[in-house]
Amino acid sequence: MTTISLVLVLTALIAFVAGQLLLKKAMDASNVGGFASRKFVWPFAAGIFLLTVQFFLNLGLPQRYDLSFIYPFQGLSVIIISIAAAIVLRESLTPKLVIGAVLISVGIVLVSLT
Amino acid sequence: MATQNKPTGFANPWFQLALSVAFVAVYELLLKMGATETAHIAGARWAWTGISGLASLYVWLGIPLIILSLITWLHVLRYIPLSIAFPISQVVHVLVPLCSWLLLGEFITSLRWCGIALVSLGLAIVAKPVARLEDRLEEKL
Repeated sequence: MTTISLVLVLTALIAFVAGQLLLKKAMDASNVGGFASRKFVWPFAAGIFLLTVQFFLNLGLPQRYDLSFIYPFQGLSVIIISIAAAIVLRESLTPKLVIGAVLISVGIVLVSLT
Repeated sequence: MATQNKPTGFANPWFQLALSVAFVAVYELLLKMGATETAHIAGARWAWTGISGLASLYVWLGIPLIILSLITWLHVLRYIPLSIAFPISQVVHVLVPLCSWLLLGEFITSLRWCGIALVSLGLAIVAKPVARLEDRLEEKL
């Protein structure tokens, strides 16, 4: 594992999580102010941009690095998104949701590694 | 709150979530085939960006499905909290290996079966309170 590989994998993970949060924020804003409001347009554009960055990184990373290095980070995204949604979007996070997210994360890693 | 003025029929966010997952399952398979096909040009200067994948027809076939999955996903986000919708969308990690096993006859290792079981258990834990909340909402209506 090199520094550059870690930076690329973490960039993909952060871009994915931030992109999803921004899209959720945009869609919530569209429920209130419609699709023409600034509160929709800016988070939407930023979210799509970040998900595009993540898309190309995820396409390129498996060609260069071992999947056993990449997948654990992908598994982490479920836990991180659930926690980030609670903190940033103030969604209610019950203990059941946390347990479910942890089980899904571990499961994804096991499914992906083998 | 899980739902607000939830549309019914085709626009039902839970149906759209299922559609989104189905699109993701198919495009992941296509992208995987595309990445494998273009792996030989991985030595190119910009290969780390994944841009070389565009040389594969499979990747181009996957792109419309990515757009459809995004549109359905955006619809889902209008009505379902991210902390519920996202974990449920991960059912794709169960569907892809199961489809490969049932349709393509691929072998599933015991470790992978354990992973499938863990994801399924996690999904059941996340989805159960949602189902109960939906029932309560319907009773009120």
